[in-house]
Amino acid sequence: MRGALLFFAAAGLAPLVVSDAFLLDSLVLMLVWGCAAGAWNIAGGYAGQISLGHSAFFGLGAYAAALCGVRWNISPWYGVAIGAVLATGAGAVIGFLSNRLRGPYFVIATIAVSQVLLIGASRWRGFTAGSEGIPVPFRPGFWTLGIADKRLWIWIVLALALMVYLVQVYLERSRRGFQLAAVREDEDAALSLGVAARRLKVVAIAVSAAFTAVCGALWAQYVGFVDPLYVFSVDLSIRFALAAILGGLGSALGPFLGAVLVTTLETWLRAEFGGLGSHLVGLYLILYGIALIVIVRYAPQGLVGWLRRT
Amino acid sequence: MAAPDVSLLRIRGVTKRFGGITANRGITFDVEAGELVGIIGPNGAGKSTLFECISGFYAPDEGEVELDGARLIGLSPDRVCRRGIARTFQKLRPFQGMTVAENVMVGALTRTRVVKQAREQAHEWLRRVGLAEKAHAHARTLSTGQRKRLELARALATAPRVLLLDEVTGGVDQRSIPGLVELVRELHRGGLTLLVIEHNMRVVTAVAQRIIALHMGEVIADGAPDVVARDRKVVEAYLGQAYVG
Repeated sequence: MRGALLFFAAAGLAPLVVSDAFLLDSLVLMLVWGCAAGAWNIAGGYAGQISLGHSAFFGLGAYAAALCGVRWNISPWYGVAIGAVLATGAGAVIGFLSNRLRGPYFVIATIAVSQVLLIGASRWRGFTAGSEGIPVPFRPGFWTLGIADKRLWIWIVLALALMVYLVQVYLERSRRGFQLAAVREDEDAALSLGVAARRLKVVAIAVSAAFTAVCGALWAQYVGFVDPLYVFSVDLSIRFALAAILGGLGSALGPFLGAVLVTTLETWLRAEFGGLGSHLVGLYLILYGIALIVIVRYAPQGLVGWLRRT
Repeated sequence: MAAPDVSLLRIRGVTKRFGGITANRGITFDVEAGELVGIIGPNGAGKSTLFECISGFYAPDEGEVELDGARLIGLSPDRVCRRGIARTFQKLRPFQGMTVAENVMVGALTRTRVVKQAREQAHEWLRRVGLAEKAHAHARTLSTGQRKRLELARALATAPRVLLLDEVTGGVDQRSIPGLVELVRELHRGGLTLLVIEHNMRVVTAVAQRIIALHMGEVIADGAPDVVARDRKVVEAYLGQAYVG
């Protein structure tokens, strides 16, 4: 709890101290990835529903926000809401249909959904502009989310981060949280004790999906371009899962710390080793992989678990 | 005729097939409130399948299960539990990543919405099954005998009207058996209705008022322990033809 206070206070005060555009940009993205990882953690960490298809929800949110501007000329805030509603529905359907799937089968089902959306978004030219992607129009103003000031972005995303964090804290302390933890540990045993396991899992996936979509919508407005091959990619899904796992599965602050770690590591390695010449172009990815292996080896409980021990 | 009171638990013609194998065939019996009924039978007799059918984990192909006159067939296991039937598993399934107290809280939270209350109830149940000092230990650190007690506490925390115990002494070291047996007796004295699957004949004849013997998925005997234990069909089922004198 004290760690979280420190983290969020630092993130909230950073814009007052930092003026470097690159650092501010990194901070916005770290927070977006932190929120997405936290949202993923609701399903993957607390409910034990490991998904590698969460980019489906992220992409739904991103497209909803972008299309609101491009097709209907309405505020992207509607897009945030529409994306969240669509993702809640999609999450509930996936959760319901895959209710009996456990372990690897659930993972495969979630990957499949994100890939179906990828195909849909990249082929439906008339509506989504196909695989070329859509530039998100920049219309200055808060209501249109056309914000050039990165400091303001930090505070907007930070508000979302706090919400995601508090949902996770609720899952650590509440009745529903205990029941969800039981489902994660042993679904049959939970059922035998009167826990409505199936319904809880569906709700967890739906809530997780909704927050992921909000992340996608804000991200689209911030970055200004939605590319289906990126927003519906398995890579992106893995990024969410990775940040949550490295940070600490089923811990409220973990995904945010994980996102900071993953983003920093990746950016730094790319800057240091990415430009060493064409024959070494992939070197930074190899180093990135090695770094992840080392972290998992020495902090198997994630950063939060490691910090608690030291 | 006795008064036409409905028995607490009524099992009527329960049949469960797995492909060509009939694990339960037309099983019928009643359990009265406050009874402690032992279920015996050799491996594969259909004892655990029957428990799965009663607790809602399997849907029987035919037959009815009623608790206090209300049908249970077709309800999901969590609903069956909320109606008042709790169970333990033959293969223990503690929530490994949670503490002992948290394990029991999950059961208690089925009856109360308040986490604090659930925690208090959990500690009370742990005290009653003799695990109070382990409350804050992780479930994975418990011995088999302690895990059995934990499963019991967890199931009891759901405030059941009928408790189904699957092999309460199975896999437990000899020294722990008397304690567990005494615990079951105590619960029974407290007024709980129990249905107990037990391999150990000595244990089951010591605790049960009535024994039902299953063989090849059918009830072959139902009555007082000493009568069932001497029943020709039961002896045959357990020991084979050669021992029937």
